Amino acid sequence: MRAWMMALALTAVGSTGCTVVDKVRLPAVPGGNEVFVTAGDIQEPHEVLGVVQVSRSGPLLFGNIDVVGTDLEAGFKEVLLPEVKKMNGDGVVRVRYHMTQYTPFARIAGAILFVFPLPSTVTITGQVVKLKH
Amino acid sequence: MNLARSFILTALGLASMGCNAVVAGGALSSPPPQGNALYLSTGGSPKKYRTLGFIQVRGYGVQMAGFADAGNANLDATIRGTLAEEAVKLGGHGVINIEFLDENPQTDAERINDAMKTAQNLANGKAKIETKDRYVTVTGEVIEFKE
Repeated sequence: MRAWMMALALTAVGSTGCTVVDKVRLPAVPGGNEVFVTAGDIQEPHEVLGVVQVSRSGPLLFGNIDVVGTDLEAGFKEVLLPEVKKMNGDGVVRVRYHMTQYTPFARIAGAILFVFPLPSTVTITGQVVKLKH
Repeated sequence: MNLARSFILTALGLASMGCNAVVAGGALSSPPPQGNALYLSTGGSPKKYRTLGFIQVRGYGVQMAGFADAGNANLDATIRGTLAEEAVKLGGHGVINIEFLDENPQTDAERINDAMKTAQNLANGKAKIETKDRYVTVTGEVIEFKE
């Protein structure tokens, strides 16, 4: 019986993707019209306005439905960028980020045990800068 | 008797192996970028660039009996595999400022322990293989060279 369960588990691993990917498209360059974000430094002269950490947490209903938006797309575009604009910044350098990523198995388990929504969080840190023109 | 012998062997294994966990991956790119090959680096860009976006990848896998790995929970599969593939989909020429973390690396002592437990299970007629969930998380900034 256990051997069968092990075989089924291995089949599940083999047939389901074992990697979870999340990405955000955020094209911008220092000096452009949009707020830029980079994980590195910039060569352009700039003034440091401060450091910022933003995070957003919420439940994944049925293991999949992200009600409030706790992925990279929402974290960068709905939380970080508005905050940078509030600080009158032109961009963010040395950005670091992390979001909760569940495997397909965990999401299926979350759908079955739907009375216990999966907790999810996205956190982004960085240094807000203003370019010297 | 078997239990005592296993305990002694495990203790000896622990004493001789220490508690270091080492995870290694293949070489990333060396500057300058070569031809059309995707540039992968844990540092900055060697050329002027434009940021296209950001990616986070979490590879999942299972380690069986301490030594056999199934799935994608390793640095090469996540960085040079999935991260690179997703960067190309975004139209990137490279990924810079790559950060990575093996969330639960296994020490040699833990691997040996799992292998011994599995061997003991099989010897006792139990079809039970010791398994460990494994996770590797990687992030990176996708860029396009301006020159």
